[in-house]
Amino acid sequence: MKKIFLSGLTAGIILFIVSYGGLFIAIQYFPSFFVDYNNPLFNSNGSRDTLFYSHAFIFSFALSWFWERFKSLFKGHFILRGLEFGLVYGIIALVPVMWITFSSLDITVTMVLSWFVYGLCQAAIAGIVFSRMNP
Amino acid sequence: MLSLISATDKAPVMIKWAILKDCTVKVNGSTNINKFSCSIPDYLRSDTLTCSRTGNDVPVALTGRLALPVISFDCGNNMMTNDLRKTLKAKEFPSLNIYFISLDKYPELTNTQESITGIVNIELAGVSKKIEINYRISMDEQKIIHLVGTQTIRFSDFALVPPRKLGGMIRADDKLDVVFRVNFKRISDS
Repeated sequence: MKKIFLSGLTAGIILFIVSYGGLFIAIQYFPSFFVDYNNPLFNSNGSRDTLFYSHAFIFSFALSWFWERFKSLFKGHFILRGLEFGLVYGIIALVPVMWITFSSLDITVTMVLSWFVYGLCQAAIAGIVFSRMNP
Repeated sequence: MLSLISATDKAPVMIKWAILKDCTVKVNGSTNINKFSCSIPDYLRSDTLTCSRTGNDVPVALTGRLALPVISFDCGNNMMTNDLRKTLKAKEFPSLNIYFISLDKYPELTNTQESITGIVNIELAGVSKKIEINYRISMDEQKIIHLVGTQTIRFSDFALVPPRKLGGMIRADDKLDVVFRVNFKRISDS
């Protein structure tokens, strides 16, 4: 349990920095890519900012538990195990979620694809942290 | 109805004015990633204004209003349009009302644009605010008076929160530049 918590916390901190830092930089350098977020589908009054910024930790703790249950299935170098873990998460969770999201909400293909890649990278980074800290 | 008592002390003349239907309102704003421009392209009501001035007193008093349907704002992009309508609480407060209160002086009404200022009361999202407006006013050969009002307002003036997305990483500027063009015509004297 301690390993799940510690590796989850570590992954959460790393993802927080990488994800939101990356997002901040992307908005500065590729602003046109984010114009479609001026859309009433997205919360606009700041009331959910805490939830938004806690996502990295929710994501990491959930994946840390998942890793503990299924880590024996991932073999090889820790980086390879982490990447494979991220890919598995992407296929079983992200693809179906992105599919239903795109089919039901008025958002663009670019937006959905970017979320898929974003989630895939997050899961792969978390996987690498888990395979290193909780092999 | 817009009526005017002339500027002379001894012979005040009341002139009535009707707002024509080809009036527009435009708001220009920006976010940290783009600029936007939204407009109500056609004002379809037949409102009137009343302008009255007694003797040489200034300012000239105005009464009347423009009642603009917020739902008619068009930003040229469905997402932006819907976002602006949501920000302006279009469902709760469907009208943006501009109440004319006064002009700092009676305009010359020639075909040369004249700059004057005036006071209006803007009612937006259930909040009213008295604002000084910069006007350019002229009259063409068809005796149609063209009034262009410009002013910068703030979302926060009307207790509105400028839209912010993704935890505030994308955020709209509090300032909005408002431009309204009103055309009206003299309909009677009294």
